[in-house]
Order: sequence, then structure tokens, then C-alpha cells
Amino acid sequence: MSRSLTSVWMLLVSITLGSRPAIVAAAPVCGNGQARCRVLSLADLFDRVIQHSARMHGISNDLHSEFEQYFPPSRNHVGRTSRNCHTSDLLTPNGKENAQRIAREELTEVILKLLKAWRDPLWHFHQITAHQHDLANFSSDKALEMSDMVHELRKGVEKVAEKMQTLGMISNSVGTLADFLPSESGGWRLMKGHELLYCFRRDSDKIKNYLKILKCRIVPEHGC
Amino acid sequence: MFPPTLRAEPTARFYPSCPPRLRSDLVGPICFCVECHHRLSKTHAETLTDCPHACRAAMRNVQGLSWLILLVLTPHTKGDLSRPGKPTLTSCRSPEKETFTCWWQPASDGGLPTTYALYYRKENSEIMYECPDYFTGGENSCFFNKNNTSIWVNYNITVVATNRLGSTFSDPVDVDVVYIVQPNPPENVSLSVMEDKGWPFLRVAWAPPRKADTRSGWITLIYELRIRSDAENEWETHVAGQQKLFNIFSLRSGSLYLVQVRCKPDHGFWSDWSSPSQIRFPEYFHQEKSAWIVTSAVCAFIFLIITVLLHMNHGSLKHCLLPPVPGPKIKGFDEQLLKKGNSEDIFNALVVSDFPMSWSSSSNSEDLLVELLEVYIPEERETMLGASKDLGGGSFKTSDSDSGRGSCDSRTLLIDKCGRPKEHEDGAEERVEREDWEDARDDTGGRTWPSVFPGLSDRPQRSLSDGLSQVLGPSEGQVCKQIKARSDIDIAVSGHKVSPARWSVEYVGVQAVVNDDMVILQPWGSGEGCTPPLSSLQERDYSQVKQVRSDDTLLLLHKVSEGTADGREAATSFGNMSQKSATCMNSTAATGGYVDAAAVFPMTTY
Repeated sequence: MSRSLTSVWMLLVSITLGSRPAIVAAAPVCGNGQARCRVLSLADLFDRVIQHSARMHGISNDLHSEFEQYFPPSRNHVGRTSRNCHTSDLLTPNGKENAQRIAREELTEVILKLLKAWRDPLWHFHQITAHQHDLANFSSDKALEMSDMVHELRKGVEKVAEKMQTLGMISNSVGTLADFLPSESGGWRLMKGHELLYCFRRDSDKIKNYLKILKCRIVPEHGC
Repeated sequence: MFPPTLRAEPTARFYPSCPPRLRSDLVGPICFCVECHHRLSKTHAETLTDCPHACRAAMRNVQGLSWLILLVLTPHTKGDLSRPGKPTLTSCRSPEKETFTCWWQPASDGGLPTTYALYYRKENSEIMYECPDYFTGGENSCFFNKNNTSIWVNYNITVVATNRLGSTFSDPVDVDVVYIVQPNPPENVSLSVMEDKGWPFLRVAWAPPRKADTRSGWITLIYELRIRSDAENEWETHVAGQQKLFNIFSLRSGSLYLVQVRCKPDHGFWSDWSSPSQIRFPEYFHQEKSAWIVTSAVCAFIFLIITVLLHMNHGSLKHCLLPPVPGPKIKGFDEQLLKKGNSEDIFNALVVSDFPMSWSSSSNSEDLLVELLEVYIPEERETMLGASKDLGGGSFKTSDSDSGRGSCDSRTLLIDKCGRPKEHEDGAEERVEREDWEDARDDTGGRTWPSVFPGLSDRPQRSLSDGLSQVLGPSEGQVCKQIKARSDIDIAVSGHKVSPARWSVEYVGVQAVVNDDMVILQPWGSGEGCTPPLSSLQERDYSQVKQVRSDDTLLLLHKVSEGTADGREAATSFGNMSQKSATCMNSTAATGGYVDAAAVFPMTTY
């Protein structure tokens, strides 16, 4: 009896392990001189960053709804309509034509600036939520996840920009302005939680949309 | 929220700086100063430079007229006339994230002709704009074209209802175009029936709505479709993701199906369902025959089972399918005794009870002396058969230890099967044996079990084995050697127990066993064709095997009268035996036909 049980167990294990190769393995990062390294195409890179940005936007949307539910902004706010996001100073294209009209380098720059601008505020926001005990735990987790994702996405977009530069699709001016951090102004510190979330929800949607437009301008044959 | 002023104010205070302040008047269009590339009112489309001037002019006109009109109209204003009720903005929608339309619901007009206007303010700006297009969107709507639409910008929208008696403002609404996108339904929904290995399926294909720009990546749409057959009321919904193609399987043949598709941007509202597309699924009958074969086979099998079950009560079928289990045939075997009695009682019952009776009943009326024969292989000799003349219960037990010896080793038993022994070697042994036997024969008084084998331990092992190897033919050699091995052990164990003085020895050559109760014995001195050692036994009595007690024990029926009749009868019954045995039998008429136990029974003692 025990022997048959052992054989059944071994069979199950072998089936499970045997089916693993069907899952696409993540390609290792290609170092120098690595022979069997799978190089990602630009379209794949774009797909990955777009997926990443879509997820980031989804989380920010969820968090914003939660905050609206638990902390409804009072109607007495005088400046409600004058919601001033700290990234309002950034000139971002506000329409399809504008987004299609500006240069690829500029669009990439805008994306990178947005991502850089949100690194500190989101970290700060996470600190706030982590210390606030009346918030649900998942809010704090989501805030942390958002903060990490901004960081990861920025690195991803930088890689995409690098790849585009190596392929000659954009000029090498990208990155020289990337060090400009408008958030140095610190204006975001005055914003309340839900305002911050409102602003970030919008900005993450902008980032996602800009990336999609950029992809369809540069590699239109892949799913545009 | 800016304070609405309902009084006309001096013009000089407002126009130069174009503050975002509303100016209204009792009668006539509302005029206020804006970034004046927008229309000031329904009737004027002014430029920046004209803004203050036109406004002033209009205001002056209005002002001039207002008092006059008031005087004229005053007698007509009754108590039931009032300011208009508060309008409400019902919804704003954008079909492609590039333009949008807002609709409002007017309230009571207060009995007077009421005009409606929509004003909006963009985020972080104090400038109030009026709706640029009241017509495209239909009644009570405002359409914002591409130039007036900014994405990711918060619009603060207000609707004002105005009549002669006053204005009423609706509650302001914040709108961000990104979150109000509701596309048009998908277009060009096409249905087609396709085949996949003989099985048809339905393929639904569609195109995104014309206005939504998915090619540039501006909008990402996800699709959903639903299907139902004509006869049903419930729709079956399928999510298609971003693809524009979907296959539906497992549809009923011959039915009419209706399909609808709709879409939604990643953050927005579902579009309306597209108009239903119809298709009739064709009739099909799958050509596969194997299913029918399997089905019919299963049915036939089930039918057969049922038939068998129905006829189970008939004895013949039952007997055929479930043959009766043979019960034990041991005479004197009492199941009840087995259940409750102890072993001694059982053995007594088996052995003593009707042991002599049964034999006597089945034998002839002659006085029979039942002899018990033990087939036993000695350590140094071949098997020897001894016959005792008495029956005794006690010796049964004592002889049990010696039982179980196969008779294959017996030179006498397997003479015809195994070959002939060498005369010179075995003859001496036989002579010695004979002497012993003759001596021991006198001691058979109280013994029932022969056994035999006087002075066995004295005999050298070697002679026995040599004798055997000569006795046994090649066909039986292996069998005999096996027996020999076992018998050696047995004999070694119990050889000392054998006391020659206890039993009388009588040797009989068993040739074959017939039926259950007859053993063909080969006489010792049967003459030609038979082994010489047998000649000495010519004058002996020969026994008929009455019963086989166990694997190793034969119960012989000893006939005192050497009736040739029996012998002949027995002889004739073995017509199919080998020639040799036949001749042997014929030569010794007194012996009757006896059977070599070894030849007939398989050796089961080992």
C-alpha cells in the first residue's frame, strides 16, 4: 500500500515538474558575453512597461476610491476646484493631437519627469499610511507597492529610452534633462492624502497613455 | 463658488480687467466678460477686443430696455409666475476621449420663457467659459469639440436657467474627461460558421467603433459579446479581452442565434450593445461511427447481463456459471465435530469410527483382511511397501512420522517407469532385505503400519542413491531425485525411529494406481519383463488399494484368497497400461492388477 502511494506521489511530482517548461521562463539579464541570453525586443520592453504602468494605475485607482470612501472630502473646501497638483507645472500634452505632435524625445522626457516627480511624495505617503492605525492594512500595503512601482517603472522607462537610443530611434538628448526634479519644490508636502491620490491617479493614467502612444509611434506593428 | 450677481452693475468696474464675474440682467441675454475668444452669449461671437465693447453695448441696451420692459410687463406678472426651477446636469459623456457632451434636465420654467446656459471653468483657472455648442448634442446639451476639450483637466460645469424673473443656477459638477468615456458600440459585427475537424463552430468578428482611435494607442478597448438562441431568453456572455475575434463552440445544430457585442475603455463605461446579428447554425450529423459502435456494444452487454440474471434460477445455467463447490469426501468427516471437538476426537472419528465397516461393505462378502500400506522412502533404500495384517489405532499415530515419503524412490514401485536396476548391485541389498523382511514378518502381529525398514541406518547412503539412479529412468529421474532428497531428510530425521522389530515388513511393488482404490502392484518375481528381485515376492499376498488416505498413504485391500478372478478383472481393467506392466500382471495372476502409485498420482509429498 505504501509503495503504491509512493509511486503515485512520484508520478504526480514528475508531472508537475515536467509541465513547468511550458511556462515561459524569464530571460536572464544579458551581461557581457553571455551566450545563451535572450535579448528582449523593443516591442517586448514596451509591453512590459505598459503592463507595469497599467498595474500602477489600477492600484492608485483602488486607493483613491478607498480614500474617498473613508475620508470623504468635505463640501466646505473652498479650494476644491483649485486642486493644485505639484506636477501641474510640468507641461504635459493634454490631448491626442498634442501628444502625437510633440517629439518622441520630448514625450519620453515628460514620462520620466512625471515618474521622478512622484518618487518622494509616494514614499512620504506610504510613511503616513503606515503610521496611521485607523487605516486598513491593505491601504498601507498598496501605498508601499505604488511607491515601489514608480521606482521600478522609472528604471524600466530608462531602459526603453536607452534601447531606443541605441537603435537610433530617438536622439541622445533624453537623459540630459532627466535630472530636473520639479518635486524639489516640496509643494507636495502640503497636500493631503486624498489630494495626493487624486493627483497621482491622474498622473499614472497620463504615464500609461503616453507610453502607449509612444509605443504605437515607434513600433506600430505590434498590437496597435 | 463664485457669487452670482443678479443686478446690473456699472460697466466701468468690470470690463477692463475681465474678471470672471457674471453679469446678468432682468431681461435678455447674460453678458459677462471672459477671455473673449468665446462667445459672450447665444447671439454674439466676439473677439477679444470686442469683448468689453460688445458687452458694454449689450448691457447698455439691456439697461435701457429693461426698465421699459419692466414697466410694460409688470401688469402681466401674476403670483404664479416665478423664477425658473433649478436645472440639474444629468450626465457628461465622451465617445472617444477627444470630445464630450453634457446634458442637463430643466426644471420648471416658472411660467415664463426660460433660457438655459452652461458655463464651465477649467481647473486652476478663474476664467468662466460658456458652452461653445448647444446644438450638436441635441436638446438641453452642450457639446465640447476637440479644441475645447482638454484631457486630464478638471472641468467645473454649471447650468443656469434664466427667465424674466431671475436665474437659477444648478449645482456645479466636476468632470474629468478621462473618466467619462463611453464609446460607441463595435461595428461590422460578422458571424460565420467554420469547421474544426468536422465539428462546426461559430466565429464572431467585429471592428472597434469608428471614432475611437485604437490604432494610435490613445484608447484601449476591451470587448464583450453575448449570444442566445432564438428560443431562449437568457444571454450567454463571453469576455473577449482586447481581441476582435471570438469562437463559440457547442452550439445546437439547426438553431437560430443572436449575437451582440459591446466595448469599454480601461476606465470608463460600457458601450451599448451592438444591434443583434443573426445566424442559423447548420444541421449536422457527425460522421463518427465509433460512438455508435461503443453505444451498441454497451447496450448488448447490458442486455446479455440482464438475460443471464433472469435465467439464473434455471439450474443448468447456474450450474454452468457457478459450478458447485465439491465438498469434502473424507469418510467419517464430521463438520460439526470439527467445529467443536478437539483434534483427538476428530482423528478418532476419522479413523476409528467406520473404518473397517466401510471397507467391508464395499468389498466382497469374503472375509477380508484389510491391510494398511504405507508408502515410505527409507534413507538408504528405495521405498518399500510393507503390509501389516492388523489394524490398530495406535500405530496410526506412530506411523505418521514416517508417512509422507514418496514412492518414487522405490525401486519396486517405479520399476516400469524408471528403468531396471542393476542386478548385481541391488541384488545383494535385496537379499539382505529379504532376510530382514522374513524375519520381521513374524512380528506383524500387532502392527498396522508397515514400515519397514529394518536396519536402514546401517545401509550406506551410497548404495541407495546408486540404486535409485539406476532404477529411475531419465523421464522420472528428476522427480525421483527430488523425492529422494526429501526422503533423505525425512529418513535422517526419523530414521532412528524406525525400529525394524516393530513392524512387519512386506514388500509389494506398486505399478500404478487406478481409480481411488486400486493399486496395481508388481509382483517381485514376475518373470520376464519384470525385475528379478520381484520374483521373491511371487508367493506373497498382494493387496488391492482400497483407499488413498493421504498423499503418502495407501490403504490396501488384502485378499487372502488369491483369487485369480479378481486379479484378472483388475488386469483387464488396465488394458491401456504399458505392455510391460501388462505382461507383468499376466505372469502373476494371483496378484491382480495393481497400480504403481507413483505412476498415477503426482508426487505431492514434497
